[in-house]
Amino acid sequence: MAYVSMGEAHRRITEYLNRFCDAVSYQDSSMLCRLLSFSSNSPSLLSLADALNVFQDASSLIRQSDKFSEYSEILAHLFRSLQSYRVGNLVEAYLAFEKFANAFVQEFRNWESAWALEALYVVCYEVRILAEKADKELTSNGKSPEKLKAAGSLLMKVFGVLAGKGPKRVGALYVTCQLFKTYFKLGTVNLCRSVIRSIETARIFDFEEFPRRDKVTYMYYTGRLEVFNENFPAADTKLSYALQHCNPKRERNIRMILKYLIPVKLSLGVIPKDELLQKYNLHEYMNVVQALRKGDLRLLRHALQEHEDRFLRSGVYLVLEKLELQVYQRLMKKIYIIQKLSDPARAHQLKLEVIAKALRWLEIDMDLDEVECIMTILIYKNLVKGYLAHKSKVVVLSKQDPFPKLNGKPVGS
Amino acid sequence: MNRRSRGSSSSSSSGSVGGASDSYRRRSDVPRNRSNDNTKGGDSADVSFIVGTCSSMCPERERVTRERLRDLSVFERLHGNPTKSSSDLAVKKFCRTLSAADVQASDVRPLSVLEETLSYLLSLLDSREHPFEVVHDFIFDRTRSIRQDLSIQNLASEGVIHLYEEIVKFHVISRQRLQGCSGTSISSMHHLNMEQLAKTLTTLYNIYDANRKPDYIYENEAEFRSLYVLLHLNTSSGVMGEPLSLWFRKLTSNLIKSKEMCFVRKLLRSYRNGNYRSFLRTTASEATYLQYCISEPHIREMRSFAVECINNVCYKLQPYPLLRLSHNLMMKEMDVESLCHECGLEIRTDSDGSIVLPTKQTNFCRPKEGFRNYDLIGIEVERLL
Repeated sequence: MAYVSMGEAHRRITEYLNRFCDAVSYQDSSMLCRLLSFSSNSPSLLSLADALNVFQDASSLIRQSDKFSEYSEILAHLFRSLQSYRVGNLVEAYLAFEKFANAFVQEFRNWESAWALEALYVVCYEVRILAEKADKELTSNGKSPEKLKAAGSLLMKVFGVLAGKGPKRVGALYVTCQLFKTYFKLGTVNLCRSVIRSIETARIFDFEEFPRRDKVTYMYYTGRLEVFNENFPAADTKLSYALQHCNPKRERNIRMILKYLIPVKLSLGVIPKDELLQKYNLHEYMNVVQALRKGDLRLLRHALQEHEDRFLRSGVYLVLEKLELQVYQRLMKKIYIIQKLSDPARAHQLKLEVIAKALRWLEIDMDLDEVECIMTILIYKNLVKGYLAHKSKVVVLSKQDPFPKLNGKPVGS
Repeated sequence: MNRRSRGSSSSSSSGSVGGASDSYRRRSDVPRNRSNDNTKGGDSADVSFIVGTCSSMCPERERVTRERLRDLSVFERLHGNPTKSSSDLAVKKFCRTLSAADVQASDVRPLSVLEETLSYLLSLLDSREHPFEVVHDFIFDRTRSIRQDLSIQNLASEGVIHLYEEIVKFHVISRQRLQGCSGTSISSMHHLNMEQLAKTLTTLYNIYDANRKPDYIYENEAEFRSLYVLLHLNTSSGVMGEPLSLWFRKLTSNLIKSKEMCFVRKLLRSYRNGNYRSFLRTTASEATYLQYCISEPHIREMRSFAVECINNVCYKLQPYPLLRLSHNLMMKEMDVESLCHECGLEIRTDSDGSIVLPTKQTNFCRPKEGFRNYDLIGIEVERLL
């Protein structure tokens, strides 16, 4: 830390206090944002923090002037938080920031217009980030991390302030997204439900009126929730919305959306082009897609095994595993096409023996009973049209459209 | 001597179990939930928890009161006397505590006493003197009280793992054995049993997690974790808890790769794809007794699904031989007949004397909940015991 004289410290603190009060009285939201944005680690905030640590008794400065003391509670907590943040004491920094945030929200509630919405966003964002950092510190000291959970409660309170009617409502979706990020991180995604209900049932506010950025984030998270619940058509709608409306320059975001949208599309029978997977660096799906194209069951199983950990962590493993039936369908179609080349008249008869042989080529050992079982399911779920003649151990395919496409509907629906 | 039972919540004999006692239990679920949360390994350093000093299975105070009120279970009566018990027989009842502050140390049993109490309770499982639902009712209530004492004292260390494991086992075995019971209140007993099973499992998982050492799995952990998957095979089954795809995200790789978890994941795949053949075969060759108990409803479900498929997709002019069905569904031919009837399907004897299922029958229906269980042929009985 560079040496700061007492006089210099005094000057910096007074300057900050003046700026803060000016920002509030001129309703200069962007200035206020800059003054609150801890995680930006801006030079001016860092030098203020150093000054505070030299000066120690900043609250006397706040009390000296009426202009400052009006916001004494907000400022005192904010300063304490910044001091702790600067010296790397993140739990203390969080606790003070939480108090600051409460005081700020109280003030915000009293402001009639929504001029400070952007600044409130900064506060919400910072409280979440700081909580995550504090939890890391707690974990490394062998204590149980609990600050992010506390941040969740605080954000819920902010949501309550915004969710009513009036001009501030437009900010509710931003806070919702911060809540989603918090709950996903904590693994308590079921808590998302009440917030979603509040957003989706509100008649007084049209969803389309929310800022685009927030709508995209919202659709991304709710789409993921639908993936977890295996509600694929709904997941498709939400994730596709996110993809269509997100900033096309943000490749990382597009990739995040595709990571979930691709398995969803696959389960609805829509296969992406290889270029898409390459462009967004989604190589983990390459072999899954290949397996679907070729009807290669072995390849599907290998691909799942190879990326097992990744797929399980992101929560798409079970979705991909369910593609097995579609791979079987593809395999049957291939056998049918080959038979058609050699003996068109009898191509529509698939012998169970032949299917077992094809599976053996794929190094999958299956007795005729299980092949029969698989064929029964394929016909039952309408992936194959035809019937099973069990005596002759043959599946007789329908002459018309023997391998119906899913057309955007999940298997068996 | 007057032997009249006053029908208290747990002393009633098979005929009068239910009604009032059930609603009593349901009400008491609320505080239980809260105390469950206490074991999640929160910051325990700054809160002090009670340390129990009760040296017998039931606090003397409670025993005397219950003797006076004739509130003694059949297992607690000394020589059958409904007003007299002893310290060897009385076991502390589950009770809705208003607040932890009201609890006195002398009413709470320390770990060693709880261990003895549990092994005494589980020894009653072999009792043939009373119908199973009576035995179950008693152990159900008293193990709940054990869990209550554990959580009041915030006992959540490695040392309590086996207690929770044993209680889970009790609920799992009850799940299966209650199927064989008859009586009007069986379905609500079954429901409450599943509820407590889910709660005990949650606590057990929290304790595993709280005591997690790197790269280490507790001896029975993988098997007990696998039960969660089996309880959630069917997403719409309504068993509480988070969806599996979320649940898997939190497992360590060691657990994911464990033999037990690989087994249930294979079952999960077969189940979700409808592959009844592989599902039944895998269960028969690999399930442990506990896994089998939980799987039973799924076995039934897969079998009726198989019958539905066969009926649906087979060539009408080729009725399906029951003998083959019995082979594929790993059940006795007689049982297949009965299953077909339950599915609303007719069977007939073919010209060559074999029994067959005519296909494309239009009145198939899913058998009702709680219909008969049929043996799974090929399951190695020795492994189960």
